[in-house]
Amino acid sequence: MFTAEELQRYDRQIMIYGFGEAGQEKLKKAKVFLAGAGGLGSPVAIYLTAAGIGTLRIADHDKVELSNLNRQVLHWEENIGKRKVDSAAAKLGKFNPGVKIETIAETITEANISRLVGDSDLIVDAMDNLPTRYLLNKTAIQKGIPFFHGAVYGFEGRAMTVLPGKTACLNCLYHGASVPKEKFPVIGVTPAVIGCIQATEVIKYIVGLGELLTDRLLNFDALRMKFNEFKINRDPNCEVCGNKAKRVKKK
Amino acid sequence: MSVNVEISSIFGRYTGNVLNMKVEGKTVRECLHDLVRQFPDLKRMLLDGDGNLMHSYDYFINGESVYPKDMNRPLKDGDKLNIIFVIHGG
Ligand SMILES: [Zn+2]
Repeated sequence: MFTAEELQRYDRQIMIYGFGEAGQEKLKKAKVFLAGAGGLGSPVAIYLTAAGIGTLRIADHDKVELSNLNRQVLHWEENIGKRKVDSAAAKLGKFNPGVKIETIAETITEANISRLVGDSDLIVDAMDNLPTRYLLNKTAIQKGIPFFHGAVYGFEGRAMTVLPGKTACLNCLYHGASVPKEKFPVIGVTPAVIGCIQATEVIKYIVGLGELLTDRLLNFDALRMKFNEFKINRDPNCEVCGNKAKRVKKK
Repeated sequence: MSVNVEISSIFGRYTGNVLNMKVEGKTVRECLHDLVRQFPDLKRMLLDGDGNLMHSYDYFINGESVYPKDMNRPLKDGDKLNIIFVIHGG
Protein backbone atom coordinates (compact mmCIF):
# COMPACT_ATOMS: atom_id res chain seq x y z
CA MET A 1 0.00 0.00 0.00
CA PHE A 2 1.12 3.50 -0.78
CA THR A 3 0.79 6.75 1.07
CA ALA A 4 -0.98 9.65 -0.62
CA GLU A 5 2.39 11.28 -1.07
CA GLU A 6 3.84 8.21 -2.81
CA LEU A 7 0.86 8.00 -5.13
CA GLN A 8 1.44 11.60 -6.08
CA ARG A 9 5.19 11.17 -6.52
CA TYR A 10 4.81 8.17 -8.82
CA ASP A 11 1.56 9.26 -10.47
CA ARG A 12 2.98 9.73 -13.98
CA GLN A 13 4.60 6.29 -14.15
CA ILE A 14 1.68 4.51 -12.50
CA MET A 15 -0.34 5.98 -15.40
CA ILE A 16 1.73 4.03 -17.96
CA TYR A 17 -0.27 1.20 -19.49
CA GLY A 18 0.69 -2.06 -17.81
CA PHE A 19 2.56 -0.33 -14.97
CA GLY A 20 -0.07 0.64 -12.42
CA GLU A 21 0.15 0.52 -8.65
CA ALA A 22 1.04 -3.16 -8.94
CA GLY A 23 4.17 -2.26 -10.90
CA GLN A 24 5.07 0.41 -8.39
CA GLU A 25 4.66 -2.13 -5.60
CA LYS A 26 7.10 -4.47 -7.38
CA LEU A 27 9.66 -1.67 -7.59
CA LYS A 28 9.21 -0.89 -3.92
CA LYS A 29 9.89 -4.50 -2.96
CA ALA A 30 12.97 -4.84 -5.17
CA LYS A 31 16.56 -4.79 -3.99
CA VAL A 32 19.18 -3.81 -6.57
CA PHE A 33 22.89 -4.43 -6.28
CA LEU A 34 24.71 -1.64 -8.10
CA ALA A 35 28.40 -2.33 -8.68
CA GLY A 36 30.03 1.05 -9.18
CA ALA A 37 29.03 4.62 -8.37
CA GLY A 38 30.90 6.28 -11.23
CA GLY A 39 29.96 7.28 -14.77
CA LEU A 40 27.43 4.48 -15.35
CA GLY A 41 26.51 4.11 -11.69
CA SER A 42 25.43 7.75 -11.38
CA PRO A 43 22.55 7.69 -13.90
CA VAL A 44 21.57 4.15 -12.88
CA ALA A 45 21.34 5.21 -9.22
CA ILE A 46 19.59 8.51 -9.96
CA TYR A 47 16.87 7.01 -12.18
CA LEU A 48 16.25 3.95 -10.04
CA THR A 49 15.96 6.19 -7.00
CA ALA A 50 13.63 8.57 -8.81
CA ALA A 51 11.50 5.61 -9.93
CA GLY A 52 11.10 4.42 -6.34
CA ILE A 53 13.18 1.27 -6.15
CA GLY A 54 12.89 -0.29 -2.68
CA THR A 55 16.53 -0.82 -1.81
CA LEU A 56 19.63 0.26 -3.69
CA ARG A 57 22.81 -1.37 -2.47
CA ILE A 58 25.79 0.49 -3.94
CA ALA A 59 29.33 -0.89 -3.92
CA ASP A 60 32.31 1.29 -4.77
CA HIS A 61 35.71 1.52 -3.07
CA ASP A 62 36.82 4.75 -4.75
CA LYS A 63 37.02 8.30 -3.51
CA VAL A 64 35.83 11.24 -5.60
CA GLU A 65 38.51 12.90 -7.73
CA LEU A 66 38.36 16.10 -9.77
CA SER A 67 38.84 14.10 -12.99
CA ASN A 68 35.63 12.15 -12.24
CA LEU A 69 33.40 15.20 -12.45
CA ASN A 70 33.07 15.33 -16.26
CA ARG A 71 30.83 12.27 -16.12
CA GLN A 72 30.06 11.07 -12.59
CA VAL A 73 27.17 13.43 -12.03
CA LEU A 74 26.31 12.11 -8.56
CA HIS A 75 29.53 13.65 -7.27
CA TRP A 76 30.20 17.36 -6.98
CA GLU A 77 33.26 19.48 -6.40
CA GLU A 78 32.52 19.64 -2.65
CA ASN A 79 32.78 15.83 -2.49
CA ILE A 80 36.37 15.56 -3.76
CA GLY A 81 38.32 13.28 -1.44
CA LYS A 82 35.14 11.75 0.02
CA ARG A 83 34.05 8.16 -0.52
CA LYS A 84 31.86 7.83 -3.61
CA VAL A 85 29.29 5.71 -1.81
CA ASP A 86 28.83 8.39 0.86
CA SER A 87 28.62 11.17 -1.71
CA ALA A 88 26.08 9.10 -3.68
CA ALA A 89 23.97 8.20 -0.64
CA ALA A 90 23.74 11.86 0.46
CA LYS A 91 22.37 13.00 -2.96
CA LEU A 92 20.08 10.03 -3.47
CA GLY A 93 18.58 10.48 -0.02
CA LYS A 94 17.60 14.00 -1.03
CA PHE A 95 16.16 12.88 -4.37
CA ASN A 96 13.90 10.37 -2.74
CA PRO A 97 14.00 9.66 0.99
CA GLY A 98 11.65 6.72 0.43
CA VAL A 99 14.43 4.65 -1.11
CA LYS A 100 16.68 2.65 1.20
CA ILE A 101 20.30 3.23 0.23
CA GLU A 102 22.87 0.72 1.46
CA THR A 103 26.54 1.48 0.90
CA ILE A 104 29.52 -0.82 0.59
CA ALA A 105 32.97 0.78 0.38
CA GLU A 106 34.78 -2.55 -0.06
CA THR A 107 36.56 -3.69 -3.21
CA ILE A 108 34.54 -6.41 -4.93
CA THR A 109 36.58 -9.63 -4.94
CA GLU A 110 35.97 -13.28 -5.72
CA ALA A 111 36.06 -13.94 -1.97
CA ASN A 112 33.46 -11.36 -0.89
CA ILE A 113 31.19 -10.91 -3.91
CA SER A 114 28.56 -13.47 -2.92
CA ARG A 115 28.23 -11.91 0.53
CA LEU A 116 28.16 -8.36 -0.85
CA VAL A 117 25.42 -9.15 -3.36
CA GLY A 118 23.58 -11.02 -0.60
CA ASP A 119 19.88 -11.43 -1.30
CA SER A 120 19.68 -8.70 -3.96
CA ASP A 121 17.20 -9.41 -6.75
CA LEU A 122 19.57 -8.44 -9.54
CA ILE A 123 23.02 -7.04 -10.33
CA VAL A 124 23.77 -3.89 -12.32
CA ASP A 125 27.23 -3.73 -13.84
CA ALA A 126 28.54 -0.19 -13.63
CA MET A 127 32.18 -1.15 -13.18
CA ASP A 128 35.24 0.31 -14.84
CA ASN A 129 37.10 -2.94 -15.53
CA LEU A 130 36.49 -6.30 -17.18
CA PRO A 131 37.68 -8.74 -14.47
CA THR A 132 35.08 -7.47 -11.97
CA ARG A 133 32.43 -7.57 -14.69
CA TYR A 134 33.15 -11.26 -15.29
CA LEU A 135 32.97 -11.85 -11.54
CA LEU A 136 29.58 -10.11 -11.33
CA ASN A 137 28.30 -12.06 -14.33
CA LYS A 138 29.40 -15.35 -12.78
CA THR A 139 27.85 -14.48 -9.43
CA ALA A 140 24.57 -13.57 -11.10
CA ILE A 141 24.53 -16.93 -12.93
CA GLN A 142 25.34 -18.80 -9.71
CA LYS A 143 22.64 -16.97 -7.76
CA GLY A 144 20.17 -17.24 -10.62
CA ILE A 145 19.52 -13.48 -10.73
CA PRO A 146 19.63 -11.19 -13.78
CA PHE A 147 22.69 -9.21 -14.75
CA PHE A 148 22.57 -5.84 -16.50
CA HIS A 149 25.78 -5.15 -18.38
CA GLY A 150 26.94 -1.74 -19.53
CA ALA A 151 30.29 -0.39 -20.68
CA VAL A 152 31.62 2.78 -22.27
CA TYR A 153 34.69 4.06 -24.08
CA GLY A 154 34.99 7.51 -25.57
CA PHE A 155 31.79 8.18 -27.51
CA GLU A 156 30.89 4.48 -27.68
CA GLY A 157 28.83 2.38 -25.32
CA ARG A 158 27.26 -1.07 -25.04
CA ALA A 159 24.61 -2.77 -22.99
CA MET A 160 23.17 -6.27 -22.66
CA THR A 161 20.78 -7.93 -20.23
CA VAL A 162 21.44 -11.47 -19.02
CA LEU A 163 18.78 -13.82 -17.66
CA PRO A 164 20.76 -16.67 -16.10
CA GLY A 165 20.30 -20.05 -17.73
CA LYS A 166 18.04 -18.53 -20.37
CA THR A 167 20.03 -16.00 -22.37
CA ALA A 168 23.62 -15.40 -23.41
CA CYS A 169 25.87 -14.21 -20.58
CA LEU A 170 28.80 -11.80 -20.61
CA ASN A 171 31.21 -14.71 -20.87
CA CYS A 172 29.35 -16.13 -23.89
CA LEU A 173 29.88 -12.72 -25.46
CA TYR A 174 33.52 -11.99 -24.68
CA HIS A 175 34.93 -15.34 -23.52
CA GLY A 176 37.05 -13.74 -20.87
CA ALA A 177 38.66 -11.33 -23.35
CA SER A 178 40.87 -8.94 -21.48
CA VAL A 179 41.99 -5.38 -21.86
CA PRO A 180 44.85 -3.97 -19.83
CA LYS A 181 43.53 -1.81 -16.95
CA GLU A 182 44.23 1.69 -18.08
CA LYS A 183 42.82 5.17 -17.99
CA PHE A 184 40.09 5.13 -20.64
CA PRO A 185 38.78 8.13 -22.57
CA VAL A 186 35.14 9.06 -21.96
CA ILE A 187 32.74 11.99 -22.08
CA GLY A 188 29.80 12.20 -19.67
CA VAL A 189 27.03 11.86 -22.23
CA THR A 190 28.09 8.32 -23.16
CA PRO A 191 27.65 6.71 -19.71
CA ALA A 192 24.54 8.89 -19.28
CA VAL A 193 22.92 7.16 -22.28
CA ILE A 194 24.12 3.66 -21.42
CA GLY A 195 23.36 3.99 -17.69
CA CYS A 196 19.82 5.09 -18.53
CA ILE A 197 19.43 2.07 -20.81
CA GLN A 198 20.54 -0.17 -17.94
CA ALA A 199 18.13 1.53 -15.52
CA THR A 200 15.33 1.16 -18.09
CA GLU A 201 16.05 -2.55 -18.40
CA VAL A 202 16.03 -2.95 -14.60
CA ILE A 203 12.67 -1.20 -14.31
CA LYS A 204 11.17 -3.26 -17.17
CA TYR A 205 12.46 -6.47 -15.64
CA ILE A 206 11.08 -5.71 -12.18
CA VAL A 207 7.72 -4.42 -13.37
CA GLY A 208 7.49 -7.13 -16.06
CA LEU A 209 7.03 -4.90 -19.08
CA GLY A 210 8.17 -5.08 -22.67
CA GLU A 211 11.03 -7.00 -24.20
CA LEU A 212 14.41 -7.14 -22.54
CA LEU A 213 17.79 -6.58 -24.17
CA THR A 214 18.57 -10.27 -23.97
CA ASP A 215 20.62 -12.23 -26.52
CA ARG A 216 21.34 -8.84 -28.05
CA LEU A 217 24.31 -6.56 -27.57
CA LEU A 218 23.22 -2.97 -28.05
CA ASN A 219 25.97 -0.83 -29.49
CA PHE A 220 25.75 2.96 -29.23
CA ASP A 221 28.04 4.98 -31.46
CA ALA A 222 27.52 8.58 -30.46
CA LEU A 223 29.91 9.93 -33.09
CA ARG A 224 27.78 8.46 -35.87
CA MET A 225 24.70 8.78 -33.62
CA LYS A 226 23.71 5.23 -34.39
CA PHE A 227 22.35 2.42 -32.31
CA ASN A 228 22.86 -1.04 -33.73
CA GLU A 229 22.73 -4.47 -32.20
CA PHE A 230 24.41 -7.80 -32.57
CA LYS A 231 22.62 -11.06 -31.97
CA ILE A 232 24.44 -12.94 -29.23
CA ASN A 233 23.80 -16.64 -29.12
CA ARG A 234 24.35 -18.62 -25.95
CA ASP A 235 27.58 -20.56 -26.23
CA PRO A 236 26.85 -24.17 -25.27
CA ASN A 237 30.48 -24.44 -24.17
CA CYS A 238 30.50 -21.25 -22.08
CA GLU A 239 32.59 -21.88 -18.95
CA VAL A 240 30.12 -19.84 -16.89
CA CYS A 241 26.63 -20.66 -18.15
CA GLY A 242 27.11 -23.53 -20.62
CA ASN A 243 27.02 -27.31 -20.36
CA LYS A 244 30.62 -27.45 -19.20
CA ALA A 245 29.89 -25.21 -16.23
CA LYS A 246 26.98 -27.42 -15.19
CA ARG A 247 29.11 -30.56 -15.37
CA VAL A 248 31.75 -29.01 -13.16
CA LYS A 249 29.11 -27.88 -10.68
CA LYS A 250 27.66 -31.39 -10.29
CA LYS A 251 31.00 -32.95 -9.29
CA MET B 1 35.04 -13.19 -53.01
CA SER B 2 34.32 -9.94 -51.29
CA VAL B 3 33.39 -9.42 -47.64
CA ASN B 4 31.98 -6.21 -46.18
CA VAL B 5 33.83 -5.07 -43.07
CA GLU B 6 32.58 -2.53 -40.56
CA ILE B 7 34.85 -1.31 -37.79
CA SER B 8 34.08 0.72 -34.65
CA SER B 9 34.43 4.51 -34.81
CA ILE B 10 37.41 4.32 -32.46
CA PHE B 11 39.43 2.80 -35.31
CA GLY B 12 38.60 5.74 -37.57
CA ARG B 13 41.85 7.54 -36.83
CA TYR B 14 43.78 4.62 -38.33
CA THR B 15 41.74 4.47 -41.53
CA GLY B 16 41.15 8.12 -42.41
CA ASN B 17 37.68 7.72 -40.88
CA VAL B 18 36.70 4.98 -43.30
CA LEU B 19 34.57 2.62 -41.21
CA ASN B 20 32.99 0.47 -43.93
CA MET B 21 35.18 -1.28 -46.45
CA LYS B 22 35.34 -4.29 -48.76
CA VAL B 23 38.01 -6.91 -48.32
CA GLU B 24 38.96 -10.13 -50.11
CA GLY B 25 39.34 -13.45 -48.33
CA LYS B 26 37.81 -16.85 -47.69
CA THR B 27 38.33 -16.86 -43.91
CA VAL B 28 38.26 -14.36 -41.06
CA ARG B 29 42.05 -14.47 -41.04
CA GLU B 30 42.37 -13.75 -44.77
CA CYS B 31 39.88 -10.91 -44.53
CA LEU B 32 41.64 -9.31 -41.57
CA HIS B 33 44.94 -9.57 -43.36
CA ASP B 34 43.49 -7.90 -46.44
CA LEU B 35 42.02 -5.22 -44.17
CA VAL B 36 45.40 -4.35 -42.64
CA ARG B 37 46.99 -4.50 -46.10
CA GLN B 38 44.55 -1.77 -47.19
CA PHE B 39 44.88 0.15 -43.91
CA PRO B 40 48.39 -0.56 -42.61
CA ASP B 41 47.98 1.59 -39.49
CA LEU B 42 45.33 -0.85 -38.26
CA LYS B 43 47.79 -3.72 -38.18
CA ARG B 44 49.48 -3.00 -34.86
CA MET B 45 46.07 -2.18 -33.35
CA LEU B 46 44.31 -5.37 -34.39
CA LEU B 47 46.77 -8.19 -34.90
CA ASP B 48 49.24 -9.86 -32.60
CA GLY B 49 52.66 -11.22 -33.59
CA ASP B 50 51.09 -14.42 -34.95
CA GLY B 51 48.66 -12.49 -37.12
CA ASN B 52 45.67 -13.34 -34.89
CA LEU B 53 43.05 -10.83 -33.77
CA MET B 54 44.21 -9.49 -30.43
CA HIS B 55 42.43 -10.54 -27.26
CA SER B 56 40.88 -7.13 -26.72
CA TYR B 57 38.84 -7.29 -29.94
CA ASP B 58 35.91 -9.32 -30.99
CA TYR B 59 34.13 -10.01 -34.25
CA PHE B 60 30.61 -10.79 -35.39
CA ILE B 61 29.55 -12.33 -38.69
CA ASN B 62 26.38 -11.05 -40.33
CA GLY B 63 25.47 -9.33 -37.06
CA GLU B 64 25.75 -12.47 -34.93
CA SER B 65 28.14 -14.01 -32.47
CA VAL B 66 29.87 -17.20 -33.64
CA TYR B 67 31.41 -20.01 -31.60
CA PRO B 68 34.13 -21.00 -31.41
CA LYS B 69 35.86 -17.71 -32.25
CA ASP B 70 38.17 -19.15 -34.85
CA MET B 71 40.40 -17.12 -37.17
CA ASN B 72 40.01 -19.84 -39.82
CA ARG B 73 36.23 -19.58 -39.88
CA PRO B 74 35.12 -19.51 -43.53
CA LEU B 75 33.33 -16.48 -44.94
CA LYS B 76 31.13 -16.30 -48.03
CA ASP B 77 30.87 -13.69 -50.73
CA GLY B 78 28.78 -10.80 -49.41
CA ASP B 79 29.19 -11.66 -45.72
CA LYS B 80 29.46 -8.84 -43.22
CA LEU B 81 32.29 -8.86 -40.69
CA ASN B 82 32.07 -6.44 -37.73
CA ILE B 83 35.21 -5.78 -35.71
CA ILE B 84 34.69 -4.27 -32.26
CA PHE B 85 36.89 -3.29 -29.36
CA VAL B 86 35.94 -4.96 -26.08
CA ILE B 87 35.11 -1.76 -24.25
CA HIS B 88 35.46 -1.81 -20.49
CA GLY B 89 34.99 1.68 -19.10
CA GLY B 90 32.33 2.76 -16.68
ZN1 LIG C 1 27.62 -17.84 -20.89
